[in-house]
Amino acid sequence: MTTQLLALLVLLFPAGGAIVLAGRGWRAPRIFTVVIGPGVVWLSFLATLALLLGKASGDFTYWTWIKSGSFEVPFGLLIDNLSIFMCLVITGVGALIVTYSVGYMEHEDGPSYARFFTYMDVFIFSMLLLVLADNFVFLIVGWAMVGLSSYLLIGFWYQRRSAVLAARKAFVMNVIGDVGMILGTFVLFMSYHAVSYSTVFQGLCAPTGIRIATCRTFDSTSLEVAAFLLLVGAVAKSAQLPLHTWLPDAMEGPTPVSALIHAATMVTAGVYLVGRMHPIYDVATYAHDAVAIIGAVTALFAATIAIVQVDIKRVLAYSTMSQIGYMFLAVGIGAYGAGFFHLLSHAFFKALLFLAAGNIIHAMKDEQDMRKYGGLWRDMRPTAITFLVGSLSLVGVIPLVGFFSKEEILGLAFSKPDDNMVHVLWLVGFATALITGFYTGRMWWLSFWGKPSLQRPVEHPHAPRLVMMVPVAVLAVLAAVGGFIETRALGVGPAAVTDFLGSVFGPPRWEGGGTEIAVTFLTMILATALFIGALRLRPWTAYAPWAQRLLERKYYFDETYDWAFVRPMDWVAAFALRDIERPVIDAAVVDTGLLATGAARGFSATQTGYFRNYALVFVAGAVAIAVALLVLRALS
Amino acid sequence: MSTLSIGGSELDASWFLLLSAILFGLGAIGVLVRRNPLVILISIELMLNAANLTLVAFARQLENIEGQLFALMSMTVAAAEAVVGLAILVDIFRVRDAEDIDDLSELRG
Repeated sequence: MTTQLLALLVLLFPAGGAIVLAGRGWRAPRIFTVVIGPGVVWLSFLATLALLLGKASGDFTYWTWIKSGSFEVPFGLLIDNLSIFMCLVITGVGALIVTYSVGYMEHEDGPSYARFFTYMDVFIFSMLLLVLADNFVFLIVGWAMVGLSSYLLIGFWYQRRSAVLAARKAFVMNVIGDVGMILGTFVLFMSYHAVSYSTVFQGLCAPTGIRIATCRTFDSTSLEVAAFLLLVGAVAKSAQLPLHTWLPDAMEGPTPVSALIHAATMVTAGVYLVGRMHPIYDVATYAHDAVAIIGAVTALFAATIAIVQVDIKRVLAYSTMSQIGYMFLAVGIGAYGAGFFHLLSHAFFKALLFLAAGNIIHAMKDEQDMRKYGGLWRDMRPTAITFLVGSLSLVGVIPLVGFFSKEEILGLAFSKPDDNMVHVLWLVGFATALITGFYTGRMWWLSFWGKPSLQRPVEHPHAPRLVMMVPVAVLAVLAAVGGFIETRALGVGPAAVTDFLGSVFGPPRWEGGGTEIAVTFLTMILATALFIGALRLRPWTAYAPWAQRLLERKYYFDETYDWAFVRPMDWVAAFALRDIERPVIDAAVVDTGLLATGAARGFSATQTGYFRNYALVFVAGAVAIAVALLVLRALS
Repeated sequence: MSTLSIGGSELDASWFLLLSAILFGLGAIGVLVRRNPLVILISIELMLNAANLTLVAFARQLENIEGQLFALMSMTVAAAEAVVGLAILVDIFRVRDAEDIDDLSELRG
């Protein structure tokens, strides 16, 4: 089978699944949904594996979507190691999570059940389109479609007001990013008159990149502007400061959705974007630095909020923001391989944490408050163990996958030559790693240790079904041993991800040294100590109630946005309704109608129905015209 | 201005026009003052024929055959009009007694 067809198949499986489920799923037997929903994702995964094993690469154009003069938008798929890597994460982790959903969503009735899997397949398709597109137009199409599926899935339980509000918030925030993306594409199009990656990138003068052949002079200001606008899109999608407020609320969606979209795949699209656009960011240095700064600040910011959250999914949401901050830091300083390794590793352990948390929530009758758990170690042993694996991986304990990926980022930041700003960012990342240890420990001890809470909704929680436990176990194994594919954090061993992506990003730009490994171990030991210490340090906030309040209010971001944007918009809308819509626009329409009916009523008085009246008017008219003609004749 | 020779005497075209005007005026008055729909139709015919007379007179005076042709055409139309008008009248008389055209005023606004 040709690569071209195979690449299309990767996309077509989830699309077909979604179409079939949307058309038939709600009236077909449940087994139909159970087979089709996850099945197509597995098929897509197999197709991606075939691409990987076939060492496929190429830029395939299938047809021309828009053609107008010299402007042309082809539907094309770009198969290179980066897109294959992303597809593997999306379909691999995606297939596990969609399979898990078969059990998690079991209490939904038939149509709802099918609807859930339809949305999931739509999401997988959109995300694959996003990473496979070979031009900006289809990137934006995929970008907007993942936003749409995210909206649909956050608001899946549309009977709940909070879910609908959260969905709307996520959509609005994402649209801000979409606008940034579109404007950025416009700016690039003005400079390079093309929308396909290859044409735009070939026009760039990359000082360190690999494409210098057809370099053209360019306006560096417009390039910076474009890079910043694209960054707006990345920041909104990846829930980085200051467009992050939607992600914690997005936890209103079902837990598999949180695992797939809001932890493993969609929110990492921003990292993918910066990676895909690396020829631009390599040149646009200010925007590139901004990526790193935003990442580091978000990492620290989100980690501090996670300390005080009591909802287990919200802790994980802030942790996700924090970890994506690490990825932004990595790609922002030019350590692309490390950033994408962390993306992979984060997909493993965060999906694991979410799914394990889903097991608990499922058993606890949808209770998400960790203070009402307690003592689950005794009652849910397999879930507790897998959750511990995920937690320790998040903290970065050797030899779990999180250790290798996070420490590689920190190590590379620490050892980047001649860049003081990056060293400051390393310090921020280091502090974040310690806080990560603390909040993860607090989460684990609260949920699993101690005595069962008196408010626990279920005395003896039931064990999760096999279909839910197997994906969790698979992810736990991946989170445990996945790190051995890239052990550069220790300075030895393989670097599979970096090498694999080397064909896209070029060779690593610098290597860590011996000091870096010592610092790595110091970070790990301190973080682990804080993880364990969290058992005793949990009530720390008693000494700083103001800090607790500040963190519980999430630094007042929601309140500020409400005050700065939502309220003024509400006010403008109310004003427009009261003083513009009704008295001006409505009145104009209504009065036009009144004028017409009034005139008709007036003129209808002439229609007497008497023949002689009509005849008289007719004859009188004729006479009048005749007289007028005679008079004119006489005068001339 | 050429003259017409009828029966040895010569007539100015203006006599024909005068006759035509009188006929037309009679017809118009008939349409306006009479109430019987049948009489109104007859008056309309009178007006049409007055117009035909004008056409023919001018055709002779200007020695141009087109005027006569137009009179023929006008007669054809008049015949058609009479057929349609009479048919409508017959239909109206079938359902009601309409001696006075003022009774037929249902289409007032």
